[in-house]
Amino acid sequence: MASERLSSILSHLTPGKSGLSAITQKNPDDVVITLAIRTPLTKGFKGGLKDTPLDFIVYTLLKQVLDKSRIDPQLIEDVCLGNVSNGKAAYIARAASLAAGYPTTAGASSVNRFCSSGLKAVQDVANQIMSGSIDIGVAIGAESMSEGGDRLEKPFHDEILKDPNAADCQQPMGQTSENVGKDFEISREAQDRFAAESYQRAERAQKAGWFDDEIVPFKTKVKDPKTGELKEVTLTKDEGPRYGTTFESLNKIRPAFPQYGDRSTGGNSSQVTDGAAAVLLMRRSRAHSLNQPILAKYVGSTIAGVAPRIMGIGPSLAIPKLLSKYNLNLQNDIDIIELNEAFASMGGMAGLFVNEQL
Amino acid sequence: MLEYRTQGFNGYAVKYSPYFDSKIAAATSQHYGLVGNGRLYILNLTPNGIVAEKWFDTQDSLYDLAWSELHGNQCVVATGDGSVKLFDIGLDEFPIRSWKEHNREVFAVHWNLVAKDTFCSSSWDGTIKVWSPTRETSLFTLPTHTCTYSASFSPHHPALLSAVSSDSHLRLFDLRTPPSASNHLVLTIPLHAARTAPSNPTNFNVNTPSGPFPPNEALTHDWNKYRSNIVAAAGVDRLIRTFDIRSGGGPLEILAGHDYAVRRVAWSPHLSDTLLSASYDMTCRVWTDGSAKAVPEEGGARELGRMGVHTEFVCGVDWCLFGAEGWAASTGWDERVCVWDVREFMRP
Repeated sequence: MASERLSSILSHLTPGKSGLSAITQKNPDDVVITLAIRTPLTKGFKGGLKDTPLDFIVYTLLKQVLDKSRIDPQLIEDVCLGNVSNGKAAYIARAASLAAGYPTTAGASSVNRFCSSGLKAVQDVANQIMSGSIDIGVAIGAESMSEGGDRLEKPFHDEILKDPNAADCQQPMGQTSENVGKDFEISREAQDRFAAESYQRAERAQKAGWFDDEIVPFKTKVKDPKTGELKEVTLTKDEGPRYGTTFESLNKIRPAFPQYGDRSTGGNSSQVTDGAAAVLLMRRSRAHSLNQPILAKYVGSTIAGVAPRIMGIGPSLAIPKLLSKYNLNLQNDIDIIELNEAFASMGGMAGLFVNEQL
Repeated sequence: MLEYRTQGFNGYAVKYSPYFDSKIAAATSQHYGLVGNGRLYILNLTPNGIVAEKWFDTQDSLYDLAWSELHGNQCVVATGDGSVKLFDIGLDEFPIRSWKEHNREVFAVHWNLVAKDTFCSSSWDGTIKVWSPTRETSLFTLPTHTCTYSASFSPHHPALLSAVSSDSHLRLFDLRTPPSASNHLVLTIPLHAARTAPSNPTNFNVNTPSGPFPPNEALTHDWNKYRSNIVAAAGVDRLIRTFDIRSGGGPLEILAGHDYAVRRVAWSPHLSDTLLSASYDMTCRVWTDGSAKAVPEEGGARELGRMGVHTEFVCGVDWCLFGAEGWAASTGWDERVCVWDVREFMRP
């Protein structure tokens, strides 16, 4: 309490410069998120969405956005789809949104920044709202790894390959994960411990029902691998969390990428996943006038690039860059950090960085 | 210049009593209002200087006070624990009423100067509450959804209530409107709007910034006592702006000069164009908004003088209603309550 009073006085002295009170102000012009929903996240190739094409996933979730928010579809001005694997994602964004009930007067586009495509979609819609291009937009991130298509089909031009960083872009994620593990000395043991903690947290969260308000049930068909018959199912739960995972159980697993290294395994890497998530964004004043609940305020984003061969360390550069733009301190001002943990090597590296700050 | 030392307590607000011409109350807090207790001082101006009649201690810091217009011995204070307390200075030690409805620090209290039977409070919790001293619960709660540093009733209409807040807006509420989803809100003026046409083109000072400005926290505002549509507001961006609430557009005048945030503004009860401001730059300054003279001589809106006696943030300033016009009291974090003649500090 005293510290809040102090920071409010400090913000009087350095207007706009002192972080927390500046970003927690509620201005009518703020971009706010009024709905955040997602499908259950299922295992690629094996899980509930393995036979569901990407366009149906996008269509279903976009329909749910309209149903759950009860917003007049005529008000939506743009839909932005973040997707990596499907080169025709822009077609899908447009057709799926029209079929889901979005008017022809809305727009649709797709973006790809690999693992942060969903974030980029949110950033794009938020920037459009902030600059006044649109008032209300939907950002959706969707991926069907089961459908494939995320690998390069042919190598780059020889001239491009001459540049070592460009050539490294061809490295698969398993290789970059091993590179991070080696370069930053994150041992197999450290990675397995990180992964075990992550599984345990996910198990606790799933059992406590912490995701229930954001997951929308998904009705689809799954082909039985043995008989080949299509069965209708309703998916309601994420398939990733493995109950009862311990450090010991993970430590026994063989390395997944022996050609690149021996630290990343199927146990301490994230699964290959199918699923989608969407947010509805608009200005705070608009949310008030439409009686939409305000879940969160979009403050800002930034982009930080790293060498492709160690691309997993991205957060350790992007986070300080973003916080410094808003004059925020990781230690004092941030309560929760949510990171995309692609691999335990990367998570461990980010964890090292975060723990050093705390 | 008279001075009183509020030893151990840093001043946040000072107000002259509307009933007694030599009584002043000061709302003060320990440790600059960050932690610790608060103290309401009742001070008398005597031939021997300022003498403390009594004081009341409170659990949490005090940020503002308002004298009752109905009862000469009562005043209400705004405290840091969210409570609004009514003290009777004829009694000792304890308040006669404590209302605990706000969830966070109450930054302002102001008595209804026309109807006299209600007062308002505004808080960090984003609400303004209207109270009657005889009722146990608030009469109205008006949401602003943002930390509201200052709220006041208009001295011209009993049902008009205004407030400025962290989101850089001045809100006007008319309590006569029927209850609805808009909660009596009739006008929202962005304080950071750019100045459009100057009210006096012949004296437009090109050195004064005219915008557009980024939004910034507003800490204080006050109604002009003679011109019923003019409000002055000021805050963190160091500029004092006057607005005509009828126009709904940008500011009429912008008074620049303070080096740090302005914490309090007060229009003179005697002159329709003069106002006092108290700032974190340790000065109190007196300004004119250039509206009084038919043919302004040198420059319309400008600073007329400054008082730099305080050695810490000056948080409270108030004009004296009685006696020789032009006396004022100020208080600040340097544990001082100063009573001074404004004309002494005005430059030729």
